[in-house]
Amino acid sequence: MNLLAPIASGTIATVAAVLAGLLVLAYILKMRRRRFEVPFSTLWQRVLKEKEATSLWRHLKRLLSLLLLVTMVGLLLFAALEPELGGAREDARSIVIIVDASASMKTIDEGEDGSESRMAAARKQVLLLLDGMSADDAIMLMRMDGRATPLSRFHGDLAKHRKTLSTIEASDTPANLTASLSAAADALRWRKKPQIILVGDGAYPEDALASATWESVADAPASPPASEPEPGASAFKNKQLASVDLAGIDVRYQPVGSAASNVGIISFNVRRYISNKLNYEVFIEIQNFSDEPATRRLVLFNGDSEIDVKEIQLAPGQRITKIYPDLGGGAESVLRARIESLESESSDAFALDDEAWALMPENKRQKVLLVSTDNLYMEGALLIFDHLDVDKLTPEEYEVSLAANELQDYDAVIYHLYAPENVLPAPAHLLYFKPSGPHSPFPVTGSLDRGRITQVSQTHPITRWLEMGDVNFDKLDTFAVDTSAAEVSLFQSIRSSVAAAKKEGRRKVAAFGFGLEGTDVMLRVAFPLMMVNTLDWFAGADSDLITTYTTGRPARVPLDGTYGISEVLVTTPSGAHQKAPLREGYATFFAAEVGVHKLVARQGDEDVAEIQLAANLSNASESDIQPSAELSLGGKKLDRPVPGSATPRQSLWIYLCLMVLLLLLVEWYTFNRRITV
Amino acid sequence: MAARAKKTSKIEDDRSSLFDEEFLKKLEYLHMVSRKTFVGLNRADRRMRKIGSGIEFADHRKYSTGDDFRYIDWNVYGRIDKLLLRLFEEEEDLHIYILLDASKSMLIGDPLKLHYAMQMAAALTYVGLANLDRVGIVPFSEGLHTHLPVARGKGRIFKVFDFLRGIEAGGPTKLEEAATSFIHRYKRKGLVVVISDFYDPSGFEEGINSLRYNGFEPFVLQIYDEKEVNPSFHGDLTLVDCETGSAKEITVSKSLIEAYKREHEKYCGELSDFCSQKNIPYFRTHTKIAFDELVLKIFRLGGFLK
Repeated sequence: MNLLAPIASGTIATVAAVLAGLLVLAYILKMRRRRFEVPFSTLWQRVLKEKEATSLWRHLKRLLSLLLLVTMVGLLLFAALEPELGGAREDARSIVIIVDASASMKTIDEGEDGSESRMAAARKQVLLLLDGMSADDAIMLMRMDGRATPLSRFHGDLAKHRKTLSTIEASDTPANLTASLSAAADALRWRKKPQIILVGDGAYPEDALASATWESVADAPASPPASEPEPGASAFKNKQLASVDLAGIDVRYQPVGSAASNVGIISFNVRRYISNKLNYEVFIEIQNFSDEPATRRLVLFNGDSEIDVKEIQLAPGQRITKIYPDLGGGAESVLRARIESLESESSDAFALDDEAWALMPENKRQKVLLVSTDNLYMEGALLIFDHLDVDKLTPEEYEVSLAANELQDYDAVIYHLYAPENVLPAPAHLLYFKPSGPHSPFPVTGSLDRGRITQVSQTHPITRWLEMGDVNFDKLDTFAVDTSAAEVSLFQSIRSSVAAAKKEGRRKVAAFGFGLEGTDVMLRVAFPLMMVNTLDWFAGADSDLITTYTTGRPARVPLDGTYGISEVLVTTPSGAHQKAPLREGYATFFAAEVGVHKLVARQGDEDVAEIQLAANLSNASESDIQPSAELSLGGKKLDRPVPGSATPRQSLWIYLCLMVLLLLLVEWYTFNRRITV
Repeated sequence: MAARAKKTSKIEDDRSSLFDEEFLKKLEYLHMVSRKTFVGLNRADRRMRKIGSGIEFADHRKYSTGDDFRYIDWNVYGRIDKLLLRLFEEEEDLHIYILLDASKSMLIGDPLKLHYAMQMAAALTYVGLANLDRVGIVPFSEGLHTHLPVARGKGRIFKVFDFLRGIEAGGPTKLEEAATSFIHRYKRKGLVVVISDFYDPSGFEEGINSLRYNGFEPFVLQIYDEKEVNPSFHGDLTLVDCETGSAKEITVSKSLIEAYKREHEKYCGELSDFCSQKNIPYFRTHTKIAFDELVLKIFRLGGFLK
């Protein structure tokens, strides 16, 4: 008999002790009897006098009953150890079978007529491997795509493994070989005769193949050789830590797939122009991964409308880049690129990378109110942006209109040399130029004569691409900025803040310690840039926003205006729903499917924020579907797996459970027949 | 505590509906039936042979100084020249005492044995009062409780109902002590109907004998609940005597139940045999039998009505 012992013996012992304690306790509790009132106990006493002689036997029967319960618990715990018939063999192996379920396994190039996917072929190969396993081999199945997912624990129940195997389907994510090998090596730690069998097409990145080490990281010297210069020490340590320690593990490779050609889109993205947000530019990269030249038709869609069709010629292995500048029009924000063969729509054996999606950042129109006396420079700067509707009021007109409740629909208000007591209610955002007095959004602490800006924030969206070092100011007001309240200093003169920004719930506020008088800032390129950056920050339209991601990697997606919300609802391209965590305005999301995903942040029944993002395979290693018949890992060529010696095995846990059931029935019967106690 | 309070209130609720209009109809029916069936048959059985001032001639005796001249039989004096007094038979009222067991054991059963006993007592009292007998009700447990004095007349029946409703039950059954107290309190001899379950650990014989020895005529009515004869519980239990509070842990099995049934039957048999030997009328009934049916059974046997 052999014990698979999937649960540690210490745990079993602890559980046994606790159960034994509970059992005795329960037995004692069982002895507490129901109280029953009778009118004349004398009669019972007379009867019981006759029965006294049998009391010893009754006690004995109670002990037998306790013994029966202890036996049942013992049998259940023994079943938990998964005993199997057949003696334990010295050559029993612990095997992790890593099944490649990455995107390239969707390639249709297997079977007699080439109509079968590599995934189906891989499942068949694993079935053959399972059939050849030794009776004492403990096997774990692990799925490899963008993540490493163990699908079972170590056991030798082949029927269960076959059932698990049938559920594995290829995903849209690239293979994460490093994570899978690392997880398999960790699972095999301290186990006898550890072995990893990798079943896949070998379409893995070179760096992942090189990351494996056959020397134990623990045994490797902690520092580089003395002769190596000091700067290399850090890189040496990092390399050691990043490598997958496969020391003592027998790694084998079972290839699947046959030669197939593929032309795929490996990059696709779009951006709006900063100065003209109505127009956009598209970038696309295509590669021919076969040894033959290929001709394809490249079609670009806006929504469902074709906006460009090109025929492209690709030499063997050639990668071409296409840029579509200054595109305009099109109502939809979703762009789609597709490559087709000239004969039919299905171009090659690997269809997943023939299509890619990109999303244009939303072009938000903003209604802006400028509160200022005549200010030609400011008005001129605002006029150059097509997406702004600007109204102008003098401070006096502003007070009157605000009191009459006529200022309702503005997205942003710019106060120039003016800081009123009453401002528009949130979510109208506020921009101040040289605010003063008690209603300044940041307390004014002083004024600098002929000050210069010496430091510009490197991280805030308002200060992106700004160069302010050569701007002259007659006077610069300084602000008290409370960084503990999440206020940010945008510009500093020596150590004094002269511009600052903050968020107040859903409202954003920015203030500059200068006006457009007594300065040459409006003559610099920085001025319109500063204005558009600020208004874009207000609108949540980030010109650096990435809306196109690759599958298989966690994406950090900004969702503007999400306060106090901890998760977003993600709708995948296939229509499935999942939840993703949201922290500090960023949703962390793992894209497992190619296509357009929709993220919605909800508060109660109201949708607070929504964003769409596109996910593409965009992985040259995965698109290179040429299968590798041989695979080298960490410089070592991997052998093919060999079958173990098949011997009959019989799992006993089911019989143990049946025995417990039988004992329970006996107990029940005897209890009801009043035999037990 | 709450459970006990609930139980008590339930008993009171039940008592309020014990003597309703339906009950009164049944009593009236019983009275009619008793008159129809028994008048003329047993009427003389209960007549007290006491010489007094009645109208029916009984005997003569010699005149003694101080006797009333009006009762001298002058016809006899004329014939035999002797002064003899005429004696007349005096009819005396029958005294019926109902000794009602109000111990704690009577608060068991469905319906409660006490309630059933109360209905029985009410029915017998009504028939007795309607026949112009004098009837009193004496509840007892370890001693005598507050009693309803002996009285006559059908109109008193509502007082009887009120009294029965107000009986406070409790305490262990001690028939001998109760009988001794009864004898000391009631000097006028008569019929004593003992309604009880007779669950007295010290036995029933002494109590009944005390009544007999002191000139009373006992009439035994034993009441039990079906559950007492056929207990439905089984398994590990603690049996608590409701009167004494003594507890006993037992494991009730089928054989034990059978043994108990035999013991119960034996106990009831002892009571029946005792009554039979002493020529005491004995009835045994469980609470599921309608009380009016039982009363008729008693009438048929005779001895209760004069």
